[in-house]
Amino acid sequence: MKRNFLGILLLTFLFVGTSLAQSKQVKVKVDGLSCPFCAYGLEKKFKDVDGIEDIKIDIKEGTLSFLLEEGKIFPEEQIRKKVKQAGFTPKEITYPETSVKNEKGKIHP
Amino acid sequence: MKRTFFYWVLLIFCIFSLVEKSFAQGPPIFSDSPILLGLEGRGIRTFGRYIVKENASIYVHPFAVPYNIIAKLAIGGIAPFVQKNPDNLKSQSGLGDISVFAKYVIVQEDRTAKTFRIVVKVQETFPTGKTNSEPPIGQDAYQSYLGIVSGYITTEYSLYSELGYNAVSNNLSDNLVYSFTFGYPLLPVTYPSKQVNLYMGFNGNSSFETNQTTILTSPGIQYIAGRRFLLEGGIQFPVVQNLPEESKTKVIYTLGVRVLIF
Repeated sequence: MKRNFLGILLLTFLFVGTSLAQSKQVKVKVDGLSCPFCAYGLEKKFKDVDGIEDIKIDIKEGTLSFLLEEGKIFPEEQIRKKVKQAGFTPKEITYPETSVKNEKGKIHP
Repeated sequence: MKRTFFYWVLLIFCIFSLVEKSFAQGPPIFSDSPILLGLEGRGIRTFGRYIVKENASIYVHPFAVPYNIIAKLAIGGIAPFVQKNPDNLKSQSGLGDISVFAKYVIVQEDRTAKTFRIVVKVQETFPTGKTNSEPPIGQDAYQSYLGIVSGYITTEYSLYSELGYNAVSNNLSDNLVYSFTFGYPLLPVTYPSKQVNLYMGFNGNSSFETNQTTILTSPGIQYIAGRRFLLEGGIQFPVVQNLPEESKTKVIYTLGVRVLIF
């Protein structure tokens, strides 16, 4: 009985382990973000990029953050170019933490 | 009139003083904006403006469509529907004078949660409104406008100003156009979020040859319901107006929407 329970537990961990995907969190400091009505253009520019999800804009902090899917590459110069095209000034780009996303799309830091 | 103006200013400042925290906001209602993004860059703006004159009322309903070619350059067009209701004549209505415009950002100083921008604005208005009616719907003249629009927008308040010269053909008087607007947001900001913004401004127009000046005070309120929709309204009334009696404006009511379409 005990052995069966341990076996099921092990299988469960294995299943969960394979269903989680690593996503890289990217945070971009954006200067000039002072109004919600103009932030939409910035969000739209990044929504169009393949492999990006969970885009968040914090106007008061002046930041744009998003999750980059595992295996996807989005060079910093491309990020800066997108911010400029949206009409803002890009500053430093940081990678605060690696987040994990499960099958339901929930983000776990 | 001076007393009425004083009460408006007092009311606006009382509302401001009741609100402890202030955050980001939307485009101004009665003046132009140097921000060419979002609703100011890829949306339709339309509003109804009801102008009460000494011996007539005028309803103007413009449709404006700006479009960002690049972040620093926007072009667009304005087509107004005009209805004039004189006290002693038959009402006339129809398409008014159509305008096309371009705005280009020449100064952009961005900081955390604030920006200062200046744009050069050119606008050409064509005499497309009918002039064979009484009263006429169009001006029967080409108008060429060159102006500077500036704005300092922070998450706590915003300041907008415009100064421009409007050259009018057919020996009609050229005029100087100027405005100043102070904006104050009432709700906390998270993006996307609902916003309520208050505006207080002045809009002036001075004709050189006729030496006539009108300065309107322009309080307004704006509701932004998320990313793509904005509702706004306000009342304008003159604080300076040295015009012939029959041309004088008593009050202007404005109610409008902006919808982001692109």
